[in-house]
Amino acid sequence: MTSTTAVPPAPPIPARTRLRGGRRVQRTSGRLFKYAALAFFAVLVLMPVYVLVVTSFKDVAETDPSHAWSWPHVWTTAAWHQAWDQLSPNLANSFRLVIPATIISTILGSLNGFVLSKWRFPGADIVFTFFLFGMFIPYQAVMIPLTQLFTDANFPEGIPRLVFAHVVYGIPITALIFRSYYATIPQDLMEAARMDRAGMLRTYWSVVLPISAPAFVVTAIWQFTSIWNDFLFAVFIINDPAKWPVTVALNNTTGSFVTPYNLQMSAALLASLPTLAVYVILGRYFIRGLMAGALKG
Amino acid sequence: MRNIRRWGPGLLLVSPSIVLVAVFVYGLIGWNVRVSLSDWRTAVQSSKWAGFAAYRDLNADLAWSENVHHLLGFTVTFIVGALLIGLTLAFLLEKGVRGEGFFRSVYLFPMAISFIAAGVVWRWLMNPAPGDRSTGLNVVFEKLHVGFLANQWYLGLDWGMSAMAMPAIWALSGYVMALYLAGFRGVPEELREAARMDGASEWRVYRHVVFPHLRPVTLSALIILGHISIKVFDLIVAIGGKQLVTQTPAVYMWILIYDARDYAKGAAIATLLLVGISLLIIPYLIYTVRSEQRV
Amino acid sequence: MAEIVLEHLAKRFPNGFEAVKDLSLEIGDEELLVLVGPSGCGKTTALRMIAGLEDISGGDLYIGGRRMNDVLERDRDIAMVFQNYALYPHMTVAQNIGFSLKLARRSRSEIRERVKETARLLGLENLLDRRPKQLSGGQRQRVAMGRAIIREPQAFLMDEPLSNLDAQLRVHMRGEIEALQKRLGVTTVYVTHDQVEAMTMGDRIAILRDGVLQQVGEPDEVYDRPANLFVAGFIGSPPMNLAQATVEARNGTLVTRVGNTEISVPDEVAREQRLERWRDKPVVVGIRPEDLHAPGQDGRSSTLGAFEATVDRIEALGSNLLIHFPVDAPRAETAGVAAATGGGLEDVPLIGHQGAWFCAAFEPRSAVRVGDRIDVAVDVRRLHFFDPQNETTTRA
Repeated sequence: MTSTTAVPPAPPIPARTRLRGGRRVQRTSGRLFKYAALAFFAVLVLMPVYVLVVTSFKDVAETDPSHAWSWPHVWTTAAWHQAWDQLSPNLANSFRLVIPATIISTILGSLNGFVLSKWRFPGADIVFTFFLFGMFIPYQAVMIPLTQLFTDANFPEGIPRLVFAHVVYGIPITALIFRSYYATIPQDLMEAARMDRAGMLRTYWSVVLPISAPAFVVTAIWQFTSIWNDFLFAVFIINDPAKWPVTVALNNTTGSFVTPYNLQMSAALLASLPTLAVYVILGRYFIRGLMAGALKG
Repeated sequence: MRNIRRWGPGLLLVSPSIVLVAVFVYGLIGWNVRVSLSDWRTAVQSSKWAGFAAYRDLNADLAWSENVHHLLGFTVTFIVGALLIGLTLAFLLEKGVRGEGFFRSVYLFPMAISFIAAGVVWRWLMNPAPGDRSTGLNVVFEKLHVGFLANQWYLGLDWGMSAMAMPAIWALSGYVMALYLAGFRGVPEELREAARMDGASEWRVYRHVVFPHLRPVTLSALIILGHISIKVFDLIVAIGGKQLVTQTPAVYMWILIYDARDYAKGAAIATLLLVGISLLIIPYLIYTVRSEQRV
Repeated sequence: MAEIVLEHLAKRFPNGFEAVKDLSLEIGDEELLVLVGPSGCGKTTALRMIAGLEDISGGDLYIGGRRMNDVLERDRDIAMVFQNYALYPHMTVAQNIGFSLKLARRSRSEIRERVKETARLLGLENLLDRRPKQLSGGQRQRVAMGRAIIREPQAFLMDEPLSNLDAQLRVHMRGEIEALQKRLGVTTVYVTHDQVEAMTMGDRIAILRDGVLQQVGEPDEVYDRPANLFVAGFIGSPPMNLAQATVEARNGTLVTRVGNTEISVPDEVAREQRLERWRDKPVVVGIRPEDLHAPGQDGRSSTLGAFEATVDRIEALGSNLLIHFPVDAPRAETAGVAAATGGGLEDVPLIGHQGAWFCAAFEPRSAVRVGDRIDVAVDVRRLHFFDPQNETTTRA
């Protein structure tokens, strides 16, 4: 979902250091209500997950609408096997897409962000705005000429084209994240390096890069998720179903109303596992990176 | 700034990106606009100038006006819903609760899921089948004795697109919450304390001290959500496919180009989308970059 | 080691702000010159122009005889110590200090040797493997100095290196830096806003205000013969007492009338400060707190001039006693005085006496109490006189 819908990463959320608030008596009942409301919303948010998980483990016979919400009588991984059979080549495609694209666009973002914030040139802010606008365009508008250009240039078909597209259209957001982060580095650090006779690349390599880890984490996670979840680019750029990344294949599998629900759900879950895993495992590093300044509002 | 030796290398390092963006963003947009003004209406490419013919055809196209209505319905529900829920969640969390981290992670996790996968679930949840064959949310309503709430969801003629906004709200409320939470926490505690000392009730503190601080956040959220809404494609396709009853301009464009091969008309839609977004984004960009310079 | 010459140096920023206007200075080989002045006076900008971190808008800069206007900072053979130290956060102390040598492709053994030597000079031997965030402020400051020293440059530039340290540490480090500079014999330009630091450390002091040089000279000279009201008010703590006065003739000599008080002006003083030209004209008179004495404190009689003072406030500093009393003469309300003391021209006392307030520095155990009416004797040899219009000394 985060794919081509350009959403700047959420800002860092400072912790609440002092608990303050109304009168004592109101506090307790107010607090109960608060937790109840929070729990209610949590249930709402997680409800689709429940459905996904529960249905994916059901037998075909149980995917009858009348049993829609019930716990499976029999837990089976049949749907998972099916999903795997159908989608594993596409999963592989997705990995072949996401890994190079993330690495390249992250590095590119770091270099761009560095120059735009710390080794500026006249008009650097204009260039940055010029980049930023590119993040908001409707990508539909450029898909046709893009595919045309690919054909004319004889660019290798399939995943390489998609990698290229994501790298290019990822330039704005990656530059944004790194630029915000590098802005928190004091300028006199750059000046000290200059006085020590370091040139631009040397300064980047020896002074800036070693302290860039938080921004790299935020950018990499963001790009990984966006690119993995992308549908628009893939559906326009890749014509051969064998080369589809998993999102397109998923849509194809589940689009037909004939597909049984357990397969649909297991396929959707399977396709989402990598990004969910990244979210669960690396989420705190993402937050930590944001707190370190990888995006200031 | 005479010392090009100093800033030259920087410009050099960024120049490949500048070229790429210039070509693949601005160049292609220009190409797109040109196509919209040509008479390339079939699979046979043509670059003859046709003026605004494609736009006129679009205007006369009944499907187009439906699309626009759908988009409006979707946008309004989506934005209002996401803002309200995001604000509510942030409001609940902002004073600090036990397990804040847990709740935040829960509300934010939909951002990790692709719209396609979300579409699979929500299509099922919003299954329009009524009564005995009802499933998804409809059956929940029946069980909770609020059966009258059961409806046709995204297939409904009047509120269809509003229903379509629900998965979008589900996906993005967490993000809006994060924006508002940062906004709430950006209010200096001293301001609230001073207001309390001056005798304000807690509600008054919110109304006069905190909420004004949130106006810029609401503005940002509005603009970001607005532009997402105009562009949204994955979700519509995942839930409604190519059906007219859920079609939006973004989807229609895809259909025109891939199925009907009417390139000029498709490009016209794309150009209009771009104009719509620019009206939102350009003032916003100018505003943010300028306020950054002030700081 | 080299001399630094600034000729009509100027800096105008793109928004039109002139930070430095026509600054001409000569800093001799091995000299420690302090650039001092209030915030915004242009001292840091001037320093950065010498460093090459700011472009020069006008005038010329020479280091070691070479014109440096168009030379990049890396080629000027100058080292800088930054106000916030600017240490590389991910490098150890040793790596921080040795970084410039590493860039110069020196051998690892040479780097190790020279780093060790520099560390020993600064007392950092045991800290070589620590990272900046594990160091105290004073230690970081020394690492910043080490980074500069190891390069053996023609000159050091220091941008308020002590301003982030605690008061006690600052006093200690002042001496250390001065000793170090003497030992290494490197031309140094030192920027500070603290006039005490300037007075104690510099071979010479250059005082700036709003980008214009006010006075340059040895500390004694600047203290004893301030060139204008700004310098008079800026240098010296507590600041010089100033009030509006007139000069009149009395029986063949000149006196100055400060409110109701008449103070005789000794002939040498009148001659030296060209007071004759100011007969019957308004002037601003200045006298430093330590030149106002308790009755009977100094052996001389107070017949030459004394204020009838009602003690309003006493500050007991331990090292001396500051007596504040009102004087019935108007305050010296000029822009220079206001700028020197950091106040605004519009600042008036909240309540009470609207005229001049004087401060006398007495011996710490003087038996004076608030409310006492005493005679405060004036050491007339130490009177200063200023032109109220253009704020310069009457000598000019």
